[in-house]
Amino acid sequence: MNSQISSLASVLSFHHFSMATNTINLSALYTSTSLRVLSSNSPQNAPSLSFYSHFKPSVQLPSISYKPYGNTIRHSSLFVVTAVKTLSETELVDVPLTAEEFNSKFPSETGVYAVYDKNLELQFVGISRNIAASVIAHLKSVPELCSSVKVGVVDEPDRAALTQAWKSWMEEHIQATGKVPPGNESGNTSWVRQPPKKKKPDLRLTPGRNVQLTVPLDELIDKLVKENKVVAFIKGSRSAPMCGFSQRVVGILESEGIDYESVDVLDEEYNYGLRETLKKYSNWPTFPQIFVNGELVGGCDILSSMYEKGCSISSI
Amino acid sequence: MGVTKEQVESTLTSKLNPSHLEVIDTSGGCGASFAIEIVSEQFEGKRLLERHRLVNAALEEEMKQIHALSIKKAVTPEQWKQQQESEKSNPAA
Repeated sequence: MNSQISSLASVLSFHHFSMATNTINLSALYTSTSLRVLSSNSPQNAPSLSFYSHFKPSVQLPSISYKPYGNTIRHSSLFVVTAVKTLSETELVDVPLTAEEFNSKFPSETGVYAVYDKNLELQFVGISRNIAASVIAHLKSVPELCSSVKVGVVDEPDRAALTQAWKSWMEEHIQATGKVPPGNESGNTSWVRQPPKKKKPDLRLTPGRNVQLTVPLDELIDKLVKENKVVAFIKGSRSAPMCGFSQRVVGILESEGIDYESVDVLDEEYNYGLRETLKKYSNWPTFPQIFVNGELVGGCDILSSMYEKGCSISSI
Repeated sequence: MGVTKEQVESTLTSKLNPSHLEVIDTSGGCGASFAIEIVSEQFEGKRLLERHRLVNAALEEEMKQIHALSIKKAVTPEQWKQQQESEKSNPAA
């Protein structure tokens, strides 16, 4: 898809169809679909490619229309398919200093946005379901790089339309300057949330059910919960909990950013007999069970109520 | 299979002498899962874990057939009173 788009960009970059739609049949690329390409007359020579490639095979074309924010001129309502205005056409809005101003200047809507530093260097192009909130978040994490912002609201935003809007801005910038905005470079993590760390594997208590244990299971449990600060005995694995309560426990622990170990009590191969033994060990009849510093904290209800009360679980 | 809401209620009433008790069958009638709110003087001075243990112990027989027991609240009459009052003064909470 990516390479198709960039090759399209080079093909289309010199075509200017001003104030008219032009239908190009790209059946070679997208079987039985047609692509409407619209290029607005950009003042620069920068290619302005705005197209929409998410098709419903019906007469009605999906529409993305650009809402100029803080700009009353609404052009291109003629077009059935329009994407967000080009980056160069979009008005640059200074980042306000107060939260109240924020909401009047930036929409809490879905779309694409571009952040500039004080030298008007483009730093980052992002997609958001709440542009105002995203800009505020950037302002908090990298205030020195957030001086002004361009915003393009995407109506009826589905994933494809948003990606498209983002791509067209990125491509425009790359064509014009030959470089990727620093914040969008891979490895730069100051703008995007870090991808979740690879989940730890679940712990196993035994080497396998056919291996004769030299130590009784309850001693293994005892050792495990005392050697690890937080241990959650759950049904299913931590990446795919098999019961709603275990799911909630994993969710709470992860949202609190707690480094915890998990043990799948349903694993009959490596944790054979664990359920019965653990119930006796902890004197607790159900799962999940959460241990902190070797002591049972409780099950899902207790953890949930602590979480709701704002008790820090790690501080126990 | 399963136990009834009434069974759970009567067991808890006889063993924990609650001043307030609400048992909700969350299994859709098959008696496999319940949510409980319970207020009892026996919870005085006990941690949440111990309170849950009291409830679990009281329902030991029933637990064999109950798949999921969610103890929404296990509070002392004093705490209950406070909670009721704060809910009244702040209905949105």
